[in-house]
Amino acid sequence: MNTIIKLVYKDFIRFTKDRPAFLLTFVVPVVLIIIFANIFGDGKPAGKVPVILVNESKSIVAKYLESKIDSSKSLRPVKEWKDNSTGTVKKIDEEKAKELVKEGNYSAAIVMPNDFFTDTSSSLKFKYYYDPKSDVETAIIQGEFQKTIMTQMPRLMPLLFQKQIESSMGNLKASGFKKDISRTIGSYFNVSIDSVMDRFTKVDSASLFKQSKDTSKSENFMGKVIKFENKQLVGAEVTNPGLTRTVGGWAIMFLLFSITGAASSLFEEKSEGSLKRILCMPVNRSQILWSKYIYSLLLGVIQLSVLFFISWAIYKVDIFSNFFNLVIMIVCSSAAAVAFGMFITSIATTNAQASGYSTLLILVMSALGGSWFPITLFPEWMQHISKFTLTYWSVEGFVQVLWRQAPFSGIIPEVAVLVCIAILVNLYSLKRFKQGKVFK
Amino acid sequence: MLVIKNITKSFNTLKALDGINLEISKGEFFGLLGPNGAGKSTLMNIIIGYLQSDEGEINFNNQKVAYEDLGVRKYIGYVPQEISLYLELSAMQNLKIFGMLYKLGKKELDERIKSVLDLVQLGDRSEELVKNFSGGMKRRLNLAVSLLHDPELLLCDEPTVGVDPQSRNAIFEMLQKLSAEGKTIIYTTHYMEEAERLCSKLAIIDHGKIIALGKLNELINLLNKKTSFRIEKNPDTVKNLKFLKELGTLIENDFYYELTPSEQYKSNSVIYSKLEDMGINDDYIEVSRASLEDVFLNLTGRSIRD
Repeated sequence: MNTIIKLVYKDFIRFTKDRPAFLLTFVVPVVLIIIFANIFGDGKPAGKVPVILVNESKSIVAKYLESKIDSSKSLRPVKEWKDNSTGTVKKIDEEKAKELVKEGNYSAAIVMPNDFFTDTSSSLKFKYYYDPKSDVETAIIQGEFQKTIMTQMPRLMPLLFQKQIESSMGNLKASGFKKDISRTIGSYFNVSIDSVMDRFTKVDSASLFKQSKDTSKSENFMGKVIKFENKQLVGAEVTNPGLTRTVGGWAIMFLLFSITGAASSLFEEKSEGSLKRILCMPVNRSQILWSKYIYSLLLGVIQLSVLFFISWAIYKVDIFSNFFNLVIMIVCSSAAAVAFGMFITSIATTNAQASGYSTLLILVMSALGGSWFPITLFPEWMQHISKFTLTYWSVEGFVQVLWRQAPFSGIIPEVAVLVCIAILVNLYSLKRFKQGKVFK
Repeated sequence: MLVIKNITKSFNTLKALDGINLEISKGEFFGLLGPNGAGKSTLMNIIIGYLQSDEGEINFNNQKVAYEDLGVRKYIGYVPQEISLYLELSAMQNLKIFGMLYKLGKKELDERIKSVLDLVQLGDRSEELVKNFSGGMKRRLNLAVSLLHDPELLLCDEPTVGVDPQSRNAIFEMLQKLSAEGKTIIYTTHYMEEAERLCSKLAIIDHGKIIALGKLNELINLLNKKTSFRIEKNPDTVKNLKFLKELGTLIENDFYYELTPSEQYKSNSVIYSKLEDMGINDDYIEVSRASLEDVFLNLTGRSIRD
């Protein structure tokens, strides 16, 4: 037993000297737990999901519902946009809302049009434009919106009920109708009029959001009093929506792992002596660095190409409709990933250290950058941090290209940021390499 | 061929090389001896241009060698102390990759590969993965890679570490063959018998300074140690003790007497004759001469350096 204890002691001592193992055992999981806790701390996303809300109706009902959506704990209604050409902030109208959703700025827009509820209306008329680039985000918006409407229905129901009767029976001529009908129902069923109205609200709310080209054919009562015009603005023609939206995120994560491994192979060559042998040949250090850069870049491009090709071959992800822009994104993402790999190599002193640092940073960047779940679920402060990760820009770029079929102008911000990351990080790494960390 | 002038190199506060001056002629087999941390490898790294000296200069074939001088590396081969090969590749792949870095054309490279494989006797194993090679085979391939570009000067940094006597002997023979062909070789080692066997000229380096330089016999003469005779202790020798003392200084040990003859006995044959007269034949006599190891330990001390 004593021997076993001594052996256990030996293993702990060795563990405390192994920084990469320490990072992977404690730091990585703790950081990821913190990230997950901030996103799904109480079982639902901590951040408010942004949704465009356009209220073009002058009715009091629309204003009432708007106020309820404004106070939602899960939705962040967006009603204005900034016109960069003039620098002015403008109110979002229906057309602008559709444009913003199509461009990928927001996942959904709820429009209460002019005829949302008029004096002659017998129902509420919504328009719902959406881009289901994220299933989770779409579900949150729809769920929260349904909840908001349905919880307010008991208050709105008498009015809508009256309007329904008027539309089928003619204008209400006698005053005191509501009072008389309440009394009649109450006496026959021995219940209050409020409880009768409650029963109407228990209609399957999910059916409200079922996409239907002709909602007027709905036979149920709720379908008659709440009319939805749903329109998927993006990705309706996509063959495999789920994979098309997520393939970029996963691809970039694995790209980072492979590229970092390729770049830090310098340490491997150093430890086995082959690096020194090469350095004693007619080869200079910058040639070695360039060779590593080009090799890693090519490896990254090939890896991403293979992943996308397999996604096309097996799962029918459409990679050819926007092929040119996909190639641009593949090259830019690979270049940024190589810069990251070179950076890790330049700050580490051993292969094990490089491996530890890269695992920590890649997992954190993948979580924060949107590889695993959409960043709109994050608290706002985390969404700002996301933009400092190359994962975010790669994921956004691939979504633009594959999901949104964006033209080149649509990926300019992503391309520009990735190229900047590649240049700046490489310059820093080069400075570190000149100090001779790897070559010592 | 190679002139090293006042080379100085420090690592932080440690002075690894302190004003090294050496001149190595073409075709010389030069041994560089020294304890661990003496500065041997640092000097090798500066010669090849891997490290930059703080002061001094190196001239190779009358041309100054600069730090990271790629031009001079075409003429220098370096055999590192470590097995500096890609173990997951075959011997042939290793040779081709390193050969390409020496900018050899395909035809020339093929010829050189055949030549070096013949030299290191790995021609029939060239397609095997290096990771499956024995230690000796790896060492031989390590040497072969350094010879691909047919260098004029070969730097061997302890090239026989960890190999069996057969492989070591094979490496010695290869190096002797190269030396006979006119290559200049600088050889660092801890093994004195290697240096004695191979090197025509030797330098002992310690604490970054050359403390002895010359041919083997010149270094041994530095020790000024006379030849002594070890005479086995037995009844025949014990009874002649009085006569033995007349021949010179006699030190008695547990199992033998160590006799250092007086100045008057300049020839060993005279001593042998006197001993034979006493009835002590060759079977009981062992001649002890100063060795390179004696010189080395005498100059560098016996304390452990690591």
